[in-house]
Amino acid sequence: MDIFKVSASALEAQRVRMNTIASNMANAQTTKTENGGPYVRKDVVFETVKIKNNPDSILEGVRVVQVVEDKRSPIMIYDPSHPDADENGYVAMPNINVIEEMVNMMMALRAYEANVKAFNISKSMYQKALELGR
Amino acid sequence: MDSTFKVLEKIIRAASIRQRVIASNIANADTPGYKAKDVKFSDFLKDQMNMMVTNPRHMKGYNNTGPEAEIVIKSTASWGDKNNVELSVEIAKMTENQLLHDAAIKILSTRIRMFRNAITSRGGR
Repeated sequence: MDIFKVSASALEAQRVRMNTIASNMANAQTTKTENGGPYVRKDVVFETVKIKNNPDSILEGVRVVQVVEDKRSPIMIYDPSHPDADENGYVAMPNINVIEEMVNMMMALRAYEANVKAFNISKSMYQKALELGR
Repeated sequence: MDSTFKVLEKIIRAASIRQRVIASNIANADTPGYKAKDVKFSDFLKDQMNMMVTNPRHMKGYNNTGPEAEIVIKSTASWGDKNNVELSVEIAKMTENQLLHDAAIKILSTRIRMFRNAITSRGGR
């Protein structure tokens, strides 16, 4: 039954990715953060994880190993009336491309759907096997 | 018992292994460096089919003592993240695998029913 853990681990990982993308989109205009400076775009890093801690196991799930910050520098926008503007009138805005985030979101969604399908097919195969001989 | 039971069992087991491999591929569709895997299926099934000998004078299939199903790592081209999983291909393979599995289950069920009928039915009925 560990096959369900594979699909479930991927669903969880894609959900974390979706959360990160949502944060990025929500903070596309945020110029103040706890660490100071504008919001920094975040991204998730996936890693293969063996289910059952067995090196021979063919079941390979996935997990989010870390959330990394994007190294791109902020975009400087000229807006002297902004409270966060520097002495030259420039505001550091997060370097977030909403289209890029949308593309990532659709990829996460497709991956999520594929894993739901895998889960359902595995389930239906087990159910069929349970009906053997009927 | 005839050998159909054994062959069908092997097919169902192979389909089950392949389902696990494909589920792992789909789960890791976005994992950098992951390589898609597959089960060598046709050869495996061919070995099983060879075992079906209906006449002693027929050529005998060699006994399959090797691994039940061989897992191969695909070396197709990948994107920049060194991951070569193609989601649509995996979904298609999974659907195909499901049909094979269900068909084998269906045939096995029918076989069992036939045997049961043969055991329980009485003459004249």
